[in-house]
Amino acid sequence: MSEPFVMQRTQLIAAIVLVVAVVGLVLGRLSLNDSTPATAGSSPDVAAPAATGTDESTAPAATADAADTPAADEAAAPAPAVEALPKLGQAQLFTNLDGWLQTDADNINDFDGQVRIVQFWTFGCFNCKNTYAALRDIYDRWQPEGLEILGVHAPEFDFEKDPESIAASAEENGLIWPIALDTNKTNFRAWQPGRRFWPRVFVVDQTGEIRFDHIGEGKYDELEAAVAQLATHGP
Amino acid sequence: MFDLLIEGFSSAWLPCSLIVLVPGLATVMAAGDRLPGAVAGFAISATLLSWLRFAGRGGGWPVIIAALALIGAVVLLFTRNRVGEDLAATAAGALAGGAAAELWEPCVGLEFGRLLNELPDRGPTGLAMMAVFMAGVLGPLIGFVAIVGVAPEWLRDRVQPVLSVIGGVVLAVMGLATAAGLHDNVVSQLFQWSL
Repeated sequence: MSEPFVMQRTQLIAAIVLVVAVVGLVLGRLSLNDSTPATAGSSPDVAAPAATGTDESTAPAATADAADTPAADEAAAPAPAVEALPKLGQAQLFTNLDGWLQTDADNINDFDGQVRIVQFWTFGCFNCKNTYAALRDIYDRWQPEGLEILGVHAPEFDFEKDPESIAASAEENGLIWPIALDTNKTNFRAWQPGRRFWPRVFVVDQTGEIRFDHIGEGKYDELEAAVAQLATHGP
Repeated sequence: MFDLLIEGFSSAWLPCSLIVLVPGLATVMAAGDRLPGAVAGFAISATLLSWLRFAGRGGGWPVIIAALALIGAVVLLFTRNRVGEDLAATAAGALAGGAAAELWEPCVGLEFGRLLNELPDRGPTGLAMMAVFMAGVLGPLIGFVAIVGVAPEWLRDRVQPVLSVIGGVVLAVMGLATAAGLHDNVVSQLFQWSL
């Protein structure tokens, strides 16, 4: 038997073993996941699918009215939609923050009683920048009705850690809401265990319960609809 | 699907994707003439593990395993005639791809956001869509492979040894930095240099 032939067979066998191992690993992980019940409400991340699955079907009616006149939305929002916002677990208190900008608050519970949008962002993130206009619009419309936006700034790179640069970026982009400095990304990771993204928004109701969760750009109508429901009908 | 591919390709040029592309490029640079196996291993592993992690299936590897994987990739890349060079390159690519997927914290646009929000509820179609997005993200890697493929042999022979060393050093530094919890700093520094 020639050496190349032996080598080819060895490689073939090794390749088959590797493929079987990878398939086994994947199937093992899938079955592990299947056997672990989703604990919606125990953490924002686990709850994410429920949030997105639900907001698709519930938001539009409220959104159309919410867009211009919050007061008009109160009359127009259908009652079933009010009950449909899922409860995704209690929002975690922020820990290990490096301070705040544009507020005297210390933590998220200082805003209890208000509807809050919590956005994880960093000023160097292209996709985060794309959300600014929609957030500003929502803030303009709903801040008088009790909305507060809490921008949790979780820097990816060293140059994004400088508070003066963050403040300058906020000013330049008209981000006038409170900004928490999550320099070590402690809260970025705690709120998104396992699946961490920029940007990501959560809507927290007046009692501190998370009621909406969205990864990435988009779904601004659904976001506003969630805010509208909570601001006009309560939690 | 096409929008997802385009967005993936656009994302490849964002700093958030450096943590995927840097180990990917380092791996294929270090792989030398075993490049096809390395890039295939990297792409498949990065796609599969990103899908598992982002779909919430299993929670991803601990960071320490990612660090070991990057260091292991270097060892495999420079281990010849033991389990077969091509297989070693493929395995090295798979290890580096797995590490990249574990360390990745992506910036998310409209299309990818749509996919990610639905991913936990999707089955194999989610994996297929993830593969489309990853094909875009790994576009520069595929471009590098194509350039190497069309480069004249005399040029490859001269440049390859240098690229191998650079790729190996980058992988090793990233592995050690990851083990020390400093991988963000390495990528940050690379980003600063690229400006």
